[in-house]
Amino acid sequence: MDNLALKELLYKIADDQLILGHRNSEWTGMGPLLEEDIAFSSMAQDKIGQSHALYSILHELGEQDPDTIAFTRNAEQFHNCILTELPNGEYDFSLMRHFFYDTAEIIRFDMLTVSSYKPLAELAVKVRAELRYHTLHANTWIKQLGNATEESIARLQRSLDHALPYALGIFEESPYEKQLIADGIFEGEVALMENWKNRVEEIIEQTQLHLPGWSTLNPVYGGRSGKHSEHLQPLLDEMSEVFKIDPGAEW
Amino acid sequence: MNSLDPRVNRLPQVGQPEHVEPKAPLDQFGTFEVFVQPKEGKPFQHEGIVHAPNLEMAFVLAKEAFTRRFQCVSLYVVDTRNVYVSAMTEGNQSVFELIHDTPEQPGEKESYEIFFLTKRGKQHIHIGSVTAATPGEALTLTAKDYKTDKIIYNVWAIRTNDIRFTKPEEQELWLTLPEKKFRDASAYKAGDKLKDFLEKVNN
Amino acid sequence: MYGGGNTFEGIKTDSLAQEDPVKLAEFETRIERGEKIEPTDWMPQLYRKQLIRMIEQHAHSEIIGALPEGTWITRAPGFKRKLSLMAKVQDEVGHAQLLYSAAETLGKSREEMINDLITGKSKYSNIFNYPAFTWADSCFISWLVDAGAIVNQLANAKGSYGPYCRALDRICAEESFHLKYGHHCVIYLATGTEKQRQMFQEALNRWWPPMMHFFGPSDKISAHTEVLMKWKVKMSSNDDMRNQFLDMYVPKIWELGFTIPDPLLKKNTDTGRWEYTEPDWQEFKRVINGDGPCNKERLEVRRVAEERGRWVREALKTPKATYVTPLA
Repeated sequence: MDNLALKELLYKIADDQLILGHRNSEWTGMGPLLEEDIAFSSMAQDKIGQSHALYSILHELGEQDPDTIAFTRNAEQFHNCILTELPNGEYDFSLMRHFFYDTAEIIRFDMLTVSSYKPLAELAVKVRAELRYHTLHANTWIKQLGNATEESIARLQRSLDHALPYALGIFEESPYEKQLIADGIFEGEVALMENWKNRVEEIIEQTQLHLPGWSTLNPVYGGRSGKHSEHLQPLLDEMSEVFKIDPGAEW
Repeated sequence: MNSLDPRVNRLPQVGQPEHVEPKAPLDQFGTFEVFVQPKEGKPFQHEGIVHAPNLEMAFVLAKEAFTRRFQCVSLYVVDTRNVYVSAMTEGNQSVFELIHDTPEQPGEKESYEIFFLTKRGKQHIHIGSVTAATPGEALTLTAKDYKTDKIIYNVWAIRTNDIRFTKPEEQELWLTLPEKKFRDASAYKAGDKLKDFLEKVNN
Repeated sequence: MYGGGNTFEGIKTDSLAQEDPVKLAEFETRIERGEKIEPTDWMPQLYRKQLIRMIEQHAHSEIIGALPEGTWITRAPGFKRKLSLMAKVQDEVGHAQLLYSAAETLGKSREEMINDLITGKSKYSNIFNYPAFTWADSCFISWLVDAGAIVNQLANAKGSYGPYCRALDRICAEESFHLKYGHHCVIYLATGTEKQRQMFQEALNRWWPPMMHFFGPSDKISAHTEVLMKWKVKMSSNDDMRNQFLDMYVPKIWELGFTIPDPLLKKNTDTGRWEYTEPDWQEFKRVINGDGPCNKERLEVRRVAEERGRWVREALKTPKATYVTPLA
């Protein structure tokens, strides 16, 4: 088994969770309803916790400790897809991103429960359980707002159109794709994406929203190889602001 | 807005500054009563309410509002309007002394979930179910089927079909709850650090 | 938990003359026996009004209090601090949710309460009208503002109104880690580098005066609330709570080698009471009436949050819905 392939896989999933967890946490205290504020915060906590668990596996594999990995790298060292780093926008965008992303993640972790790399397979069972709530939450909201008023449908449609090319960026292939598949670590981004498209169609069909033809879309790639939008570095600066006051200190 | 809070600086301008559009009635929706089962084998108990637009959303929102912190294995919710409430008693008077005997009612029988309040100031606990045609009949049957020496101060009856239960495949929603140690006071031990510090200062 | 320093208006007890004397006597005997009052029970108008006011202020304090700490979530140093702070601030929003519900059982809808908050008609804990400049400020809030609130809330949990007591019991249980987390953070600053110690000392200097205001005006000048004490709405006097807080936390602050910015602060060993420089009650009044460093921003953020969420709520409003008072 080649660690480079495995590490690349772990880094990109962990970075996704870390960055989206931070974005979602920005809604704390500002959500559209008190109850929803609480729910969104829980999912943000889950994501941060999941990234920590993945960085811990990386640490076992010889990488630096989770705090160092998470809070001292620069944007070009991050492997998250660009979808996760985009600013929150209005609630419709945050919700649509959450729907696209978590639909992909529950399938990904479902696949990883049978990974030949045991620590990841064991973790995947737990992560999948948490994602069960995330997708229940996302599907419920999308179905409701996607069938409600003219305004809510129009807002969701705009966000869907905007987010979809970025969402396809989740599945940007790694240079190690064949190896991961051959070693039984992960079934690969193509298999994941096909599954994801079906699942997304299944939910969107139950709404008054429309999916553009998949072939008409240009996926936004780059994130997986460290080429990010202008939004990531300022977020990373914010995340490390306190650390940087006194780098030798324990907080 | 020029704020110390970076999130606030990112907020868009909405409407006229300082102009406040008052909330219309039902802006926060109606309410749903939330019941939680803390452990396998323990009865469900009433925990509180959530505001939500409908039953399904109430379930989704209640999950984090009421079961993110303490042990939980199952959850259900019901529209507040679908809870039939008996009179409330106090002192040594049991509520069953006030429930008139409702004769058997015509119509289709349905299952009702029954909840007892055994101590004023505490929460209602699920006690079992009865099959009746009306809520009144359900209370009468409860008095017979769940006879007890304890004083019951208040009874709730809810049609089983009005409840959004946890589905079997949703049971795993609480799988990792016990691992979220950052929500436990026991995760914050700094006694040794403090002791070392004090020793250094006092020497 | 953020309650504390509730402001009560002067009570005109002559309004009680309109209440049914038999029912009033029964109500008071029940409270004396230590029984809880439930939403469907008879209660004097004054009791209902004052409770709504108090619980609502408490709820507003939670939701506004989530702002100065919430700003530190993205910046919290490291996984451990970040997860704790996220869960803590989330709890505060949850407490607002619980407290609004308790107040609703008394007949005021959540819509009305939020309206009164964002128009500035209702108050919230004055301490949140001050800014959190550094990470150390957020640690001060997590440890000492929460500690102050716990003093207040543990007392109120023994009050007479069932739904409020149940909400507070739950809140106190959820809180158990907040104070520990805050203390843990401050111990790390105190035992850390010179820069970290200085950060906390500066935060302490900034927050001490509002902390002394937190429990409300001194008993000498505050409104008379005897009837509220008798009805177990208000459970302890402002000065008693302040004294209890000082008793519990001043030694812990001193233990860490920090200086509290009040040269007169000391415990009188004869009376067992703390002595301190009289807090500036003019400043307290000025800030609570809107002229503090952050009043404007706090309310504006709430207004913007409500405004941005409006389309979501309007979309899901069902025409057939009707509001009934929640049960308990």
